Amino acid sequence: MKPDAPILEVRGVTKRFPGGVVALDKVDIEIRAGEIHAILGENGAGKTTLMNILFGVLQPDEGEIYIHGKKVRFRSPLDAMNMGIGMVHQLRKLIPAHTVLENIILGHPKTGKILNLKKAREEVESLCKRYGFNLDLDARVWQLSAGEQQVVEIVRALYRGARILILDEPTSVLTPLEIEALLKSMKAMAKEEIATIPFVTHKLPEVFAVSDRVTILRRGKVVKKIETREATIKALAEYMVGREVLFKLDKPQVKIGDEILRVENLSAMSDKGVLALKGVSFSIREGEIFGIAGISGNGQQELAEVIAGLRKPVSGKVIFQGRDITHLSVLERMKIGIGYIPPERLGVGAIGAFSLADNILMSIYFDPEFSTKGFLNYKKIRDYAKKIVSEFEIVAPSIDTKAAHLSGGNLQRLILGRIIPRTSKLLIANSPTVGLDVAATEAVRSRLLACKKEGMGILFISEDLDEVLEVSDKIAPIYEGRFVKILPAEEARKEEVGAMMAGAIPGGS
Amino acid sequence: MVYIQIPKLKRERIVVLTGREAVSISVLSLAVAFIVFSGFLMYEGADPIEAYRNIFSFAFDQKLGLSTTLHRGFFILFATLAFIIPMRAGLWNVGMEGQFYLGTIGAFAVAYTLPTLHPGILIPLMLLAGALFGAFYGALAGFLRGKLNVNEVVTTLMLNNIAFWLVYLLTVGGPWAGIAESTSRPLPASAHAPIILNTPFTSFLVIGIAVILYIFLKYSSIGYQIRVLGNSPAAAKHIGISAPKITVLVMALGGAIAGLSGYHMWAGDPAFFMIPRPEAYKAIADLTYWGLIIGLICLLNSIAAIPLSVFIGSILVGSTVLVRRLRLPFGLDVLFLGIISLTFVAFQFFHYYRIKIKRRE
Repeated sequence: MKPDAPILEVRGVTKRFPGGVVALDKVDIEIRAGEIHAILGENGAGKTTLMNILFGVLQPDEGEIYIHGKKVRFRSPLDAMNMGIGMVHQLRKLIPAHTVLENIILGHPKTGKILNLKKAREEVESLCKRYGFNLDLDARVWQLSAGEQQVVEIVRALYRGARILILDEPTSVLTPLEIEALLKSMKAMAKEEIATIPFVTHKLPEVFAVSDRVTILRRGKVVKKIETREATIKALAEYMVGREVLFKLDKPQVKIGDEILRVENLSAMSDKGVLALKGVSFSIREGEIFGIAGISGNGQQELAEVIAGLRKPVSGKVIFQGRDITHLSVLERMKIGIGYIPPERLGVGAIGAFSLADNILMSIYFDPEFSTKGFLNYKKIRDYAKKIVSEFEIVAPSIDTKAAHLSGGNLQRLILGRIIPRTSKLLIANSPTVGLDVAATEAVRSRLLACKKEGMGILFISEDLDEVLEVSDKIAPIYEGRFVKILPAEEARKEEVGAMMAGAIPGGS
Repeated sequence: MVYIQIPKLKRERIVVLTGREAVSISVLSLAVAFIVFSGFLMYEGADPIEAYRNIFSFAFDQKLGLSTTLHRGFFILFATLAFIIPMRAGLWNVGMEGQFYLGTIGAFAVAYTLPTLHPGILIPLMLLAGALFGAFYGALAGFLRGKLNVNEVVTTLMLNNIAFWLVYLLTVGGPWAGIAESTSRPLPASAHAPIILNTPFTSFLVIGIAVILYIFLKYSSIGYQIRVLGNSPAAAKHIGISAPKITVLVMALGGAIAGLSGYHMWAGDPAFFMIPRPEAYKAIADLTYWGLIIGLICLLNSIAAIPLSVFIGSILVGSTVLVRRLRLPFGLDVLFLGIISLTFVAFQFFHYYRIKIKRRE
């Protein structure tokens, strides 16, 4: 075999999903033995689909996959594993109550019905030694950190005989030390002709340091293949987010008024107990949209939740109209005019089994105007709900329709209709357009601009950089829990902000 | 090449189940239970139609089974309501048994301490004490769940066991022991429940509670908060509903209602007027588990629970004729109840899925 011959080739792979979404469009990729080949792309670029096709979870509509020059067809992940492909999922597929060793040998064809733990241990131990993995084989998986669990998954794939290793966001949950160890092991694997394919959105720099080649996906297409040594991080980030000129929404000219919200040096933990928000300070004024651009998982969720009162900060202050509200409850914050639009619609923003009226009630159930002596005044509530449904153009047979039957765009209109009229001062919109079609997205954006016109301050969070640039007055790219910078919209250049949110440009703040 | 078309069954998730669908599922499951049990009856050489006719004619005969049917049926209704309230908030109260024991202790403690009080004062006091004791027991599990996130199924089940032995401690050779040593002393006559229309007045009390509960859950602000929490804890959190508070509240309310049934059971049936032997009071307490099944079947609708509870009561009482009147083997009546509860539970599947026939591609 020629040294540079690809061991894995993807040729012209296209995948369409119901509803006309083309997730992958004639994608070509070649992976050589022993190379570290990063695949970059924003959320929605088609990375997950490509991964699933390579691992046999999905079948392509068009195109072929070749391994060692031979055409293959994966009907299931088992086929892919038998052809030497290993996958390390971002959501771990391990059994927490079992030991590391048990997890590694689980499902291995050699394991059979009677366990030969002694022999398996020797094999796994030698594997770990060869690639420099440091694992306690007798530890229970639940005791391990996220990084250690990832190593278990890698070792399991290698033990299964993987020669091509797909890593889904390998560095996103790791500490810097763990990242260093992982990169070292990746190099050790490369020496043994094992190819690794990290799929990356977060944390460009680390991957940049170790990969040989990079393929960049955008909107389902391969936009660039490049040798890493010929590229710069900034250039990669630009390819990832694209550079096309955008259609501009008419931003209403609004007089920026007094300060509504001031956040001082705010830090908060994520659900996993990691410091996710690290000392963020900013302020929002009346009629101002403050946009946070960032790839999810960089602390914007935690920030939104702290301001909405859903999460306790570790340190720092939230000041609303000059009043310290850091310790105010969610309900109290709702009462003084703070509204929060959560990113998950069904189950958080709205309840599927509830009627539209009962959903709208979620924002007024505590309002004395709609109840007498602890009992809800359903006549008033229904009148109010009807008004909201027509005002927010929610398409439904009646206000008794269950929210579960609404389409995504309609559901979001319902959520906005429930929250916006009860919000007088500060609206926190966390990814309000995610997953919506073009028309619904436009409707949401113009709703936000209407709120701005009314003099509300808006904290706008989105992963879609174009959108943040289009809507916001100020833009703060967030990376690893810190604002890289706070830029006025006029000064924000897309490439620059894109590079900042990918971690390519270090910043202060 | 000839392909054989094999139809493929596909299950489809139901997003929202309507009340009418729920009723037809229950009727269907009952029909299946009756058909399955008919097989057993025929195996034993009995005519199923004749057997069923006997069951219901006994259960609803005014001179024979009716008063027991109503008494047991409404006892089950107490337990059903005690299950429904926490379940509306997403919590599994399987502690009706323990809350019933605690209610028993509360009511009897009052009756033994103040036997000379006028019934008009004594009986309300007994009910109040039973409700408070039950509420305390429910709230205990609610507090552990709300504050420390301890699974309420585990705690309520364990508390049931503790409560069983508490009653045992008081009755068998304990301070409340009667002459028979393993039963309690009889209740003073002033504590006996007045009978209205063949049934103790507490039957009407529980019907009233069922109606009030329906209105409370549907139209009150707290009821709304309970329903939001039950449907989505995340949504509840986002609109400022305090989950720990609601958790303690619903468990206490459920416990209070189960606690009331302590008085209803022992003071409402002239066959008792005391706490019987441990096997007997345990057998009665086991009936509370019907509350769980009925609650789920009627989709946590407390009004629908009224007829269903009485229906189960009638089978409970009526099926005893299989043994006594038709001379069928002992245990067949229990088997019938077992089959009904199993089919009810199995048909829960259709609350979540519908089966569609799909042709192979």
